[in-house]
Amino acid sequence: MTIYNLYIFDRNCSCLYYKEWTRQKEAGIPREEEFKLMYGMIFSLKSLISRLSIISAKEGLVGYTASNYKLHYFETPTGFKFVMNTDTSVGNVQDVLRHIYARIFVEYVVRNPVARPGEHVDSELFAAKLDDYIQDLSFK
Amino acid sequence: MSVTTVQAETSQCLFEFLHMEIVSQLQQEAGPDKKGEVQQRLESLGHRVGESLVERTSRDHPRFKNELDAVVFMCKQFWVTAFNKNIDNLKTNHQDTYVLHDNAFRLLQHLSEGNQYREEAQTYLSFACGLLTGALSNVGIKCQVTAEVTKMPACTFQVKVLL
Repeated sequence: MTIYNLYIFDRNCSCLYYKEWTRQKEAGIPREEEFKLMYGMIFSLKSLISRLSIISAKEGLVGYTASNYKLHYFETPTGFKFVMNTDTSVGNVQDVLRHIYARIFVEYVVRNPVARPGEHVDSELFAAKLDDYIQDLSFK
Repeated sequence: MSVTTVQAETSQCLFEFLHMEIVSQLQQEAGPDKKGEVQQRLESLGHRVGESLVERTSRDHPRFKNELDAVVFMCKQFWVTAFNKNIDNLKTNHQDTYVLHDNAFRLLQHLSEGNQYREEAQTYLSFACGLLTGALSNVGIKCQVTAEVTKMPACTFQVKVLL
């Protein structure tokens, strides 16, 4: 079971952080374009899902499964969006994404005095803590 | 989490965020390359806060036996009130210098565990330096405090008593 990569977006659709662990294929476009494409897809999927929903629910999009990979989506009350790609054998990782947000992102980005809101995350401490956590996950 | 821990945590957070914002405002006002000025202003803010805070923390405490007793008080009760933890180690040359080691200083904890942001880190110690001079001056000890970042989030405060 493998985690491929992780995107963190803020409410204003800028990609604050991107990290890949194992990635076999590139999108063939500049990273910035790929971020926009990813954000655009998430945005559209979310609105489609709520439009076509037959029951009213608080949370819509949680991810999708393609034949060769699985995308997981988690959104915080403040509008941060966490997108993680894994292989298809990985189960529900909502708790993992929540942990990354609540215990790593809030602690080392939001509470980091030199990190400005809305700017790209370049804290090494955050990157290290995130990497430790991902490496420790039992299903990896 | 019990109500008290939640309260302690939120007030710590509130202080941290307020302090963060004060630093950033002072930096904006002072302009670039005016680190000294920013640090000085933070220190004088801290001094004033320290004077009052020590009054509040020591109100149920008997008088201090000697200088060391007062410094130990700063390392324990006073530091706990301010930063929710003790000073981890206190060294003195038994003359006029005390060195306080904090192995995980509250305001550096979320910053780095390596060398990144080392330059910026110094500014986040100034308020605490002020707190110490203020608190000690209010118990009758005139001193100078300098701080040094060792291996983040650890740092040391050197208290030099002025005779």
